[in-house]
Amino acid sequence: MANVGLGRVGKVLTWIVAGGAGLLLAAFLLAWSGLYNVAASRGHWAIVEWLLAFGMRNSVELRAMAINPPPLDDPDLIALGAGHFHGGCAFCHGAPGISVSPIAQHMLPPPPHLPTSMRPWTDAELFWIVKHGIKYTGMPGWAALERDDEVWAVVAFLRQIQKTHPERYRELALGSVRLPGQTGKELATVDSNQEAAGACARCHGAESKGPVSALVPVLHGQPREFLAKALKEYAESTRRSGVMQPMAAELDRQEIARLADYYARLPAPRPEKIAGNASLIDRGRKLAVEGDTANGIPSCNPCHSGNALPEYPRLSGQSARYMAGQLALWRAGHHAATGGGAIMAPIAQRLSDEDIAAVTGYFASLRAKPTGEKPQ
Amino acid sequence: MIFRRALPTCLSIGVLLAGCGDRQSVLNPKGGDAHQFAQLSWLLFAGGTAILFVVMLATYLAIHGPDRFRALLGSERMVVWAGVAFPVVTLTALLGYGVWLTRAVALTAADPDALHISVSGEQWWWRITYRPANESVVAANEIRIPAGRTIVFTLTSPDVIHSFWVPNLGGKVDMIPGRTTRLRLRADAPGVFRGQCAEYCGGPHALMAFEVVALPPSDFDAWLESQAKPASEPESVEAHRGRDLFLAAGCGGCHAVRGTAAAGTVGPDLTHLGSRRSVGLDTLAMTEANIKRFIEDGQHIKPGNRMPPFRIFPAADLDAIAAYLAGLR
Repeated sequence: MANVGLGRVGKVLTWIVAGGAGLLLAAFLLAWSGLYNVAASRGHWAIVEWLLAFGMRNSVELRAMAINPPPLDDPDLIALGAGHFHGGCAFCHGAPGISVSPIAQHMLPPPPHLPTSMRPWTDAELFWIVKHGIKYTGMPGWAALERDDEVWAVVAFLRQIQKTHPERYRELALGSVRLPGQTGKELATVDSNQEAAGACARCHGAESKGPVSALVPVLHGQPREFLAKALKEYAESTRRSGVMQPMAAELDRQEIARLADYYARLPAPRPEKIAGNASLIDRGRKLAVEGDTANGIPSCNPCHSGNALPEYPRLSGQSARYMAGQLALWRAGHHAATGGGAIMAPIAQRLSDEDIAAVTGYFASLRAKPTGEKPQ
Repeated sequence: MIFRRALPTCLSIGVLLAGCGDRQSVLNPKGGDAHQFAQLSWLLFAGGTAILFVVMLATYLAIHGPDRFRALLGSERMVVWAGVAFPVVTLTALLGYGVWLTRAVALTAADPDALHISVSGEQWWWRITYRPANESVVAANEIRIPAGRTIVFTLTSPDVIHSFWVPNLGGKVDMIPGRTTRLRLRADAPGVFRGQCAEYCGGPHALMAFEVVALPPSDFDAWLESQAKPASEPESVEAHRGRDLFLAAGCGGCHAVRGTAAAGTVGPDLTHLGSRRSVGLDTLAMTEANIKRFIEDGQHIKPGNRMPPFRIFPAADLDAIAAYLAGLR
């Protein structure tokens, strides 16, 4: 008798509310009873699958609207993206010349083999998917959400994946790694797999070969304490990188020490071609040696060359693009959770764009000196 | 009601004011022009109080007084005499008296005996330069002066406007980027006075304080001579290790310790840090524990200051650095 006086509209509303409540109750009973089959092996009904895919496409399209892609036809970006793709994505999505793992093929939904069947997403949409992942699929979000720069590297590679020949892919993704053919016994018993064994060199190079991309730091000849500290910070997620955190997390303390020791002993590869002009490099030298008192910028050398603490990186011969990228992260307010990051962040925030170009150009133009050698 | 609240309010304000030390007070003049400023301040307070009292009385009479008073207070003559003539005469007289009283500030007769000290106000500390016999001695955040001698401060700023004020010794003068301003001060007798940046300069402005330590002239000469020397050699093994760590950790990028490779000019000169009375501009007493706090956590002691936090040292290393710095006397 409650709806007396509400009229026709009131009656209809009452029926709608009651119907909704009934449906909710039915759904709850279905879940409670266990009759619904959650088996991935069963697949979805066609209508459900269509609805889910329809919803996903629209959701990605809407959320990618405000994203502005940087230029992606950049060989350094593509090489870095390929290196990460091989370790992080290829298991589920395959790669040129590599098919999707049979385990991943039986996920629901099965991940697409990207070299042959990628939806025609835009750059911005691909970025959004790689960064945030997709609910109700196995696609995870990026391990370090503040590192858009890394996500764009993967997108740059994805743009090329369909036209990349398997041989070219091996070159891009595996870089200088040339693992010797293992014997049956080694394959059967050695306690590490090929993926992990070559992971560092894929991007950073090894022996006399430098990094595959100017966006990847030169590790050769860095102090072992610095290398070990960086890996430890990545493993603990205090230093953030969707590329490095997953790699470092798999290493134990002894492995970190051995790796740091290996790269610390390597002689520095030849520095890249000097990008800046002579006057820019001169300005960079002035910043590195004297700093800029008027703008509160200390000189770089007391921390980054010669006999400075071995926990600090040495910068001579380092890639200018890599250093500029790190400084940009500090300027944007990221990257300051580690002890060293907290020191660099306020200093980076005092550097102008021109300062960064000058000082990174200067250090890149120097050949790395072995640690322990006196400065000048 | 209002009157009943007024008494306790006045009393509690009085109690609060009594809490203000006399190290930073215009009403406690200790030299030079400060005496005249204090005299002028008292005259202003007394005159202002007397006028306020007369106005309150007139207000009361205008509301509750006999008709005779009310008519007088409401007359045009009253407005002309008390509202126009009285303020003109009083303020003119006050201006004349003030100018006459502080004439010494305006006169810039060269004092051949004066000691010249340059102070640069920087976000958020004070760079102090003495020039005995053509060499310059750089210190920071603590100004020592000889008592009884006129000091001419040359004031500059490289960043924003600051203002240099030691209330016990005299007036305040702005430090303006691109300009040089001057201020003469004198302390009558030895003592310690507190100065303060008196122009908002961002972030930790409120903590941009300093101390002026007036010494007997002979003590001052000895002190300046010791300040002109390069840093002393570390005395203990720990302090030695502290110096090595100080240099390796890159502290010399910002700080200078004369006599070592540390030659930075971004932050305060630390050559004789241990001889100062405080750490972090009068915020903490000079102890090894406070030096360590400032290195690791300076952003909590003086929020916004330009030194990054150095939370990278194992405890023993930090102890060694603090031992070295405290030993720089």
